[in-house]
Amino acid sequence: MSTNEANASTGLDREAERRLAQQEMAIAKKYIGPFPVFMAVWCFTNLACWLALWPLVFTGTLPLWAGFIIATINVALCYLPSHEAQHSNYAAAGTRLRWLNELIGYVSTIPMVLPFKVARYTHMLHHTHTNDPVRDPDYEVIAPNWWQAVLKTIARMQPRFPNAYGRILGEHSADPMARRAGLEGAAQTLAYWAILTVLAWSGYALEAAALWWGPRILGVIYISLFLSWWPHHPMKEQGRYRNTRSFTFKFGNLLAFGMEDHIIHHLHPGMPLNRNKAAFLELRPLLEARGCRLEDHHP
Amino acid sequence: MAILKRLYPWGPVFFGIGFLAPLFAALMEAFGIAAPLGLSEIQTGLLIGTGWGLVAKFGGRWI
Repeated sequence: MSTNEANASTGLDREAERRLAQQEMAIAKKYIGPFPVFMAVWCFTNLACWLALWPLVFTGTLPLWAGFIIATINVALCYLPSHEAQHSNYAAAGTRLRWLNELIGYVSTIPMVLPFKVARYTHMLHHTHTNDPVRDPDYEVIAPNWWQAVLKTIARMQPRFPNAYGRILGEHSADPMARRAGLEGAAQTLAYWAILTVLAWSGYALEAAALWWGPRILGVIYISLFLSWWPHHPMKEQGRYRNTRSFTFKFGNLLAFGMEDHIIHHLHPGMPLNRNKAAFLELRPLLEARGCRLEDHHP
Repeated sequence: MAILKRLYPWGPVFFGIGFLAPLFAALMEAFGIAAPLGLSEIQTGLLIGTGWGLVAKFGGRWI
């Protein structure tokens, strides 16, 4: 559904649509702009915590089970700072702090082994083609309810399930950026398997499993559920104002990683995650006038 | 890249040998499980890891 179609369905005329767009941008601009310090601190604190687990567990300072729990939380938390970097929200290309933007993009997702260039390339396609069964790289998470979404993610980890990101990169192989992403992705994935193998054959198999392999599986399931499935379910509609929903998670927005307001991210990707809630509350009347999917969002 | 593409389908077997085998051996040691048939823990791990990797490669799923 295009913006015009969405407007038509909510009965907005051209003038009303223009007025809403101006009001929306005026509000959004207040939340876009300042360097997202919180997200940058999140990246390096989380990464430092995960890296610190290795010597702590290796030396017996921290029990293996505790390391496993903390590492799983680290993996689950590692994606979102990189997500900001994918949108260049720390620094745009050609600006002074661009190196920091790219650094965060690369290092933040080391615990979940998500290569930055692959993430950025496929995520931009997700924004362009949200809920398109063929062109949205995240569409495969589609499932009728949350627990089937979890099972679907586990099924997608099996060897026979084609890797959606790999397929998309292959389809765009004429694009040098896609080829570069594929190369970096292959190198980083190989490095991950090599490190696991070396650790395991050096007598640290349990530590490698508890601090990286197992947490990565659980973290990816959690991220896939809250960042891909929940905000876009049931993935039937397309178009700027209908492709993402706002919802209330009964255990709180913190555990949902702020995804209750994911609709704000799709409308204004340049706005850092930690400002989405305030922006949503201010934009809500405009979103209601637009006929956005707020039906699952309780006051 | 061409070599990687040829090796990629055998990834589950490499994973079974490279990671699962020593992991099974470590788990057996940690839980005091004796290796059967006079095998060592790592030999048992290699049997299970390789076998499971082959099942995953040809069956298409780990579980």
